[in-house]
Amino acid sequence: MKYAEENPDGVTKADVIIGIPSFNEAPSISFPTTQADKGLVKYYKDRSAVIINCDNNSDDGTREAFLATSTQTPKIYVSTEPGVKGKGANLRNLFLKAVELGAHAIVVADADLKSITPLWIRNLCEPIFDNYDFVAPLYIRHKYDVTVTNNIAYPLTRSLYGRRVRQPMGGDVGFSGALAKQFLDADLWSDEVEAFGIDIWMTTIAVRGRSSVIQSFMGKPKIHKVRDLDSHLEMMFEDVICTMFDLMIRFESFWREVKWSRPTAVFGFGLGDVEMPPPVDLDTKKLWDKFISGMRADWNLYSTVISQENMNKLEEVVELPVGGFEFPSGLWAKIIYDFAITYRNQSMDRHELVRALAPLHYGKTLSFVTETNAMNNQQVEEFIEDQCVQFEKAKSYLVEKWFA
Amino acid sequence: MSKILIVDDEEGIRMLYSMELQDEGYTVVTLPDGKGLMEVIEQEQPDCIILDIKMREYNGLDLLQQIRKKYYDLPVILNSAYSSFKVDLKTVAADYYVVKSSDLSELKEKLKLALECSIPSQP
Repeated sequence: MKYAEENPDGVTKADVIIGIPSFNEAPSISFPTTQADKGLVKYYKDRSAVIINCDNNSDDGTREAFLATSTQTPKIYVSTEPGVKGKGANLRNLFLKAVELGAHAIVVADADLKSITPLWIRNLCEPIFDNYDFVAPLYIRHKYDVTVTNNIAYPLTRSLYGRRVRQPMGGDVGFSGALAKQFLDADLWSDEVEAFGIDIWMTTIAVRGRSSVIQSFMGKPKIHKVRDLDSHLEMMFEDVICTMFDLMIRFESFWREVKWSRPTAVFGFGLGDVEMPPPVDLDTKKLWDKFISGMRADWNLYSTVISQENMNKLEEVVELPVGGFEFPSGLWAKIIYDFAITYRNQSMDRHELVRALAPLHYGKTLSFVTETNAMNNQQVEEFIEDQCVQFEKAKSYLVEKWFA
Repeated sequence: MSKILIVDDEEGIRMLYSMELQDEGYTVVTLPDGKGLMEVIEQEQPDCIILDIKMREYNGLDLLQQIRKKYYDLPVILNSAYSSFKVDLKTVAADYYVVKSSDLSELKEKLKLALECSIPSQP
């Protein structure tokens, strides 16, 4: 784990930690560091605190940019070994430092955040001092942002573990020192968790462990540096799906007993005007092309993974024209469950299997865009809510096939 | 059979819901507004609350916040004549949001789901 550490102020104890994971974020890391410092000074000046940059041994000067940022709060820099990359690997170092420093509350803020304010620190931290263990963020997001969350992570997590956490891989979270120790000691680490799987992993462990979980309204939308949506999605898709499926296998006796779902309380109202998120454009032609080319390339694979009944319905979907394209949510839920079962059975290479899910996800995303095109944010939330209910209703299908 | 607490400032609604839900076999307790709500919950130990939002002196969303602080997992169904409150993020803390209608089938369906919900208490 931890390879290098710089602790210029000799910090040995901290009640509150703000962790900023990074890899080559020299141009952007000063902003969240400054906002974190302002938040700590404004809301937690009576508590001992430290800002920790957990880095992947960046070679672009991230370490120097972080340590040179002027703050009243002391800072620590830690890094993974050269060659070890991933947000999860960075957070593993953060959990270690949290335990070492005896922290009560830990907040994670992404290094490329452009919309973080001091209030975010309070909203992610305060519930921990009110005896909650895990704080998930609740942002206003554009309807076409976070398609993996809307179409897979949220409905699947909710139907499996029975807790409605709207942004289960939001990235910016708060958790207690006790939960940091649980994360550190968990024997559930994998290469995918050490990469982009970490966010859904933390949320799942928290809800499955019956930790007290709350969502915190952040007020401002999440805005980070511009990423290539396609390449980012491809990078994180496999990590996230593998992590969710691995945890399904591990926690099967728990989710088997879960029926329907319960809401999660929300912290953080009265934040003034709510800012709307910037628009996200999705290229429907590109989504269609990726869906159709995947169907052509992987049809034989699908027929070994997806049940005959669902294959028949998928065949109908493939024949729909792009203009009236629709991928029914009930079918989508059952296909996700079919993939999870094949993943568990190890009847084919797991990475090949998860990669083959991606074209179906593009198809589902295209359907989502088509169906919600004229909807406002609230209507889209209700649409997603209906989709989640389809996952919950199809759960009996999963249970029957998984435990057959 | 499950006990349902109905909090609504319209007497007609309280009577209608009481009759319909009693016919379904539920035990029903009613309250005309939020006054003494926490004490009634403590005393009656309902299995689910059907909570109006816009009441003369009380706001159901604020009452929901109070309920959640003490009863993390007590099912609450928000029930309003207005759908516009759905934009308020406080509604996220409710199990379901049902717009009032003379046809109670949606309310009864959501009530059933809320009561059937089960999550293992031990990890």
